Amino acid sequence: MALLSVQDLVVRFRTHEGTVHAVNGVSFELDAGETLGLVGESGCGKSVTNLAIMRLLPRPAGYIDGGRVLFDGNDMVTMEESELRSIRGREVAMIFQDPMTSLNPVLTIEEQMVETIRAHRQLSRDEARRRAIELLTRVGIPHPETRLDSYPHQFSGGMRQRVMIAMALALEPKLLIADEPTTALDVTIQAQVLELLRGMTNELGTSVILITHDLGVVAGMTQRVNVMYAGFIVETGSTTEIFANPKHPYTVGLLHSIPRLDAEEAAPLIPIEGVPPDQRHEPVGCPFAPRCAWRIERCWTDNPPLAAVDAISSPPVLSGPQATHRVACHNQPTAEEAVAGRPLRSGFVAAPPPAGFVGPQDHVVEHDDELAAYAARDAR
Amino acid sequence: MTSADISVPGRVAERGSRGLWGDAMRRMLRNGPALVGLALITLFVLAALLAPVIAPYDPIAGALVDRLKGPSGAHLFGTDLQGRDEFSRILYGAQISLQVGVVAVLMGLAMGGTIGALAGSFGGKVDAVLMRFVDVLLSVPGILLAIGIVAWLGRGLPQIMLAVAATTTPLFARLLRGSLLGLREADFVVAARSLGASRWRVLFRHMLPNALTPLIVAATLALATAIIDVAGLGFLGLGPPDPRTAEWGTMLTDSTRFLRQAPYLLFFPGAAIVLAAIGFNLLGDGLRESLDPRLKR
Repeated sequence: MALLSVQDLVVRFRTHEGTVHAVNGVSFELDAGETLGLVGESGCGKSVTNLAIMRLLPRPAGYIDGGRVLFDGNDMVTMEESELRSIRGREVAMIFQDPMTSLNPVLTIEEQMVETIRAHRQLSRDEARRRAIELLTRVGIPHPETRLDSYPHQFSGGMRQRVMIAMALALEPKLLIADEPTTALDVTIQAQVLELLRGMTNELGTSVILITHDLGVVAGMTQRVNVMYAGFIVETGSTTEIFANPKHPYTVGLLHSIPRLDAEEAAPLIPIEGVPPDQRHEPVGCPFAPRCAWRIERCWTDNPPLAAVDAISSPPVLSGPQATHRVACHNQPTAEEAVAGRPLRSGFVAAPPPAGFVGPQDHVVEHDDELAAYAARDAR
Repeated sequence: MTSADISVPGRVAERGSRGLWGDAMRRMLRNGPALVGLALITLFVLAALLAPVIAPYDPIAGALVDRLKGPSGAHLFGTDLQGRDEFSRILYGAQISLQVGVVAVLMGLAMGGTIGALAGSFGGKVDAVLMRFVDVLLSVPGILLAIGIVAWLGRGLPQIMLAVAATTTPLFARLLRGSLLGLREADFVVAARSLGASRWRVLFRHMLPNALTPLIVAATLALATAIIDVAGLGFLGLGPPDPRTAEWGTMLTDSTRFLRQAPYLLFFPGAAIVLAAIGFNLLGDGLRESLDPRLKR
């Protein structure tokens, strides 16, 4: 049985401008010891999915509107708050994007670490302190005995993220959710922190869900990837398979919007045109259709389900290294097209929107920051 | 280059580990106006505490032969209609102002803090009901509310304290609620919850300490208002029930009848009120600047 099984998870946000359809029926599984990447641009629902798993959605706006989250066979969606509390930190822990704000500024590192350890373990203050020193040593903080008395603002960003990792792994959880753990750090520190994360989770056999929009991180850290768009998983499979053989136009677009150092010749970057859909509207058709070069008429009205890329008779494998490569697309790009980054079929024109379709094209173009930066660099 | 020039790597950060309050203290000591405020308040507190020791005369019993004497060596600030020493009365008046002001602000802090904490941490209906109550309090001008309460409950120091506390309550309630609402989705609060911290632990250990500094600043500033309010009530004849009590506001009222003969009787209590209020204002502003990390220099 999978360690974590998310089934048809639906998350909505009530706002003054209407209901935001943040996550629209996401299902995936995770085995013990597996590292799963969750990629997609800002606002695609990757962070919300994980906050929902932890039941930490901002209240009262965000709520789970359906689905189940089975952790070790128990449904976290219907669980009592007290039960949930005993799982948080001990069984599932989280690391957040910005280490500058995810530690309490008025408490020393010792107070925060000891508190976390003692919330779940029957340890004396001294024992907990010794455990904290041990952990800080493990994550590479020099002079841990003296640094324990420091306040967060006396640490650098990279060091704070190390402290966060130490706290998150203090109770040796079975699952670690890392929400863009290195986005706020500079590149050299990123590599160190990722290396540390990989080393420690390997050692402890911790499963990891790594949320990121950095495909380089995905390639280096994960065994399996879910590509998310507008609250849907649009493609899933092993990392090597997704990178070698992307089958969803959005995945193709993502791969073409980052520069590759190993490219034989300077391939132009192809930005993904347009903006993500306005998620205040109930999704109709494929959410990516308005931006898709491969769209056919059917895409506007019929949202394709996630289905195996190759026709198989047996049920798809949902987790582990043998996971079935699945994609939600009516008109999958061919291998050649995926390499070229655009449709190559002669005479193929992307289907125009049906009459009366209100799309997001009229809005101001607002790319994911990083993608926009790449696109701008390419344009120069 | 001598060896003293070489810094030891890895030890640099430890130099500054005095914590939040240590840093705030250091910034405070470099802040001129705040030090002036601190000096004024020290003077005020010393006057209140040491009144029985340093007051040259009894503040209540006077000698009628000495009535309405101007400032002199014998009576530093002169004497009033009943021949009581004005300087002694100012010193004892500080006692009343300090006592009523501090107790009133603490009561306001307790009431407003409780309301704000409940509203900010529970949200939803609790928040809506409590905040509408606060809005009602807020819609009545402070001094009017205080007059109303004293008129309703009768004259007396506890009533005055409660009245002044009621005027500061909405301020604290709104402030704490606002900070808590902001902190509810703060990364470190979500992080603490993700590590299994209970609701109460999150509130008391993570949210309240972070919401405390604006509250301390507001309380200091509220002390200035409280002192003025107490004097205002006294001036309007709603001061301490015993008319002989040395209270700055009451002293001001008494003096207005002799404005021509004894203007100093207006000047000294007025100056005392103004200086105490300025002192708390300067200190409050200084505290705000020292404690607010966004103003960190």
